[in-house]
Amino acid sequence: MIEEKLDDYALGKSSGQKIKKIKAGIVGCGSMGQEIAILIAKAGLEVSFVEISEEKIQESLTSIEKTIDNIIERWGMTSGDKRSIMSRISGSTNYDILSDCSIAIEAINTKKWVPNQPVRKEVFKNIEQVVSNDCIIASNASTVVISDLSVVLDNPSRAIGVHFIAPTLKTEIIEINRCRNTSKATVEFTKKFAATIGKDVVEIMGSPGNISTRIIVAMINEACTLLMEGVAEVADIDTTMMQGYGLQFGPFALADRIGLDKLTKWMEGLYNEYGDVKYKTSPLIRRMVRAGMLGQKVGEGFYMYKPDGTRYSKSGPVRTLGH
Amino acid sequence: MKILILNCGSSSIKYQLFDMENNEQLLAKGIVEKIGLLGSFIKNTRNDGDEVKLVGDIFDHQQGIEYVLGLLTSKTHGSIESMDELKAVGHRVVHGGEAFNGSVFISDEVIKTMEECVDLAPLHNPPNLKGIYAIKELLPKVPQAGVFDTAFHQTMDPQAYMYAIPYSLYKKYGIRKYGFHGTSHRYVSARAAEILNKDIKDLRIITCHLGNGASIAAIKNGKSIDTTMGLTPVEGLMMGTRSGDFDIGALTYIMQKEEIDLNATNTLINKQSGVLGVSGVSSDMREVEEAAANGNERAKLSLEMYNYRVVKYIGAYTAAMGGLDVLVFTGGIGENADKMRLEILNNFGYLNLLPDAEINKGLRAKEAIITKPESSVIAMVVPTNEELVIARDAYQIVNNL
Repeated sequence: MIEEKLDDYALGKSSGQKIKKIKAGIVGCGSMGQEIAILIAKAGLEVSFVEISEEKIQESLTSIEKTIDNIIERWGMTSGDKRSIMSRISGSTNYDILSDCSIAIEAINTKKWVPNQPVRKEVFKNIEQVVSNDCIIASNASTVVISDLSVVLDNPSRAIGVHFIAPTLKTEIIEINRCRNTSKATVEFTKKFAATIGKDVVEIMGSPGNISTRIIVAMINEACTLLMEGVAEVADIDTTMMQGYGLQFGPFALADRIGLDKLTKWMEGLYNEYGDVKYKTSPLIRRMVRAGMLGQKVGEGFYMYKPDGTRYSKSGPVRTLGH
Repeated sequence: MKILILNCGSSSIKYQLFDMENNEQLLAKGIVEKIGLLGSFIKNTRNDGDEVKLVGDIFDHQQGIEYVLGLLTSKTHGSIESMDELKAVGHRVVHGGEAFNGSVFISDEVIKTMEECVDLAPLHNPPNLKGIYAIKELLPKVPQAGVFDTAFHQTMDPQAYMYAIPYSLYKKYGIRKYGFHGTSHRYVSARAAEILNKDIKDLRIITCHLGNGASIAAIKNGKSIDTTMGLTPVEGLMMGTRSGDFDIGALTYIMQKEEIDLNATNTLINKQSGVLGVSGVSSDMREVEEAAANGNERAKLSLEMYNYRVVKYIGAYTAAMGGLDVLVFTGGIGENADKMRLEILNNFGYLNLLPDAEINKGLRAKEAIITKPESSVIAMVVPTNEELVIARDAYQIVNNL
């Protein structure tokens, strides 16, 4: 069959209001970046991510495949879905891969909370150097004010916070965090993008920790206090919150899912921002992080985990955890 | 009078161009693929055999349709001189709810009503609407007609279409059986009567549309009185990847045991069940038949289950109509799978249905009677042609304007 170019058959009628094909970029393809990549590719969009080394790129791609395999195992997708999703995801160590993106999302995984976020700023700068003028630059950071990052941009009006809440593939909302510099067009595009990938949005006016992180951090801290006072055991506290208030997970199960190291980072960020003790990392969490009990991902946190993710209670008094 | 038929899916558009006043001749047909995705293209086949594939970016349905129009009017691969020759555009629309019991001229009011039906078919109706908006934008003066997949079954009685759940849910959300493939069931039943030279009003017909999606309709005196698909296309027959009839109690049990949410449940019953789910081989009948022939037990079981459901529904609908005169096979599987047809037909000795194995053997996608002359029930193969029905309806609607 002969092959020809489509452009030769254009009538020039709809070109006036041509909708730009959305391609998304991600910088940092750790667990969060991977979930965001799957989410976007699943919606039919192309995704490119930047990682620091070839090994990291391979690791991310392998891990994405594994995540999808798990979803297929749990009836959520088909192998056909997997093929098409994988075909839309590409990685590079070079920022140039983001040059044709309409939105680039910073999703790096910093080990510790550090003042002024130099690494994230660096990422923002690097993105702006390669993308076009109308590309949105977003950060998934949960405890950062977006204006603190956008100061490094030539065009700060394109910066916005988009906070995906884990488990990203299931949670139906994204918190969109704007600051006074964020332009209307940026917010509108981000909303459209969210709709394209099947998410509702909650708009927030520049607050570190958005809604979700501030409330969850305070709840987990309070749960730790209850535990340390010997009021009740882990499972009882979780069950009370789940049954009593219809939560999907209790505070400890949530802490294990989030990861105690990440939680510590959030807490330090929020404590530093607001100075309120309710955000101050519980000594119990600190002890556990030191002891390497980081939660579900390492198989042990407030609960124990089998390799397939099944959760079971620890024996013995948990309040002495990490001692 | 040239009429363009569009069938817009989420990322594809199938189209056909008919010349209605010249023997309903098909001038060109093609498909726009991967709209908004990487590697989008248009494939066009003209009736003189000219074939072309156009590659490039297609960002949305409107742009895809614009290229199709450009292609159809081009000197190189086109079929018409100019757009002025197009007198109507007909659209296939999946769900018409209770609002549409026939094909309609698409006015702004109709568009509004169709937008209200989106909830009932969230995957299918929005792309159908995109095609309608696009034509409105590109060819504002050309009248458009909508032909609904559900319309033909709107003649069902409440006893057939109501589900035995609280009545308030019917009132609140329109939860009831609607049925699909209506255009196909309508076409093949009418065509069968025509071939037999009988008045459809005197016939009790069962039409089996067996394709990747599959449904059966009971057509009494020319009217659909029952069909296997329901509010959604999941109900009824076992299909390539859809479960068909299934114990809802078992579904909630699975959801609880596997701790899965609504999305995963939807994928489970829509994409991982049916012939694929049972056989573990494929959703493609030919591959499953091959595996079964090579001794794959689960492949064999899946085919037996598939046939059994068809046989069961034919029996049920025969009872519902108080007898059966004509049984029609259509759709990709129904038109081509001769072995399966015979296996199904062999179950109706009690109706004195006498299949003609000779004629049936190797018969593919051709109109034919596949029972013996002395058979009390006539079984037939009638290839479906939904696009032609849409073109005819559009033609009629435009002529009545």
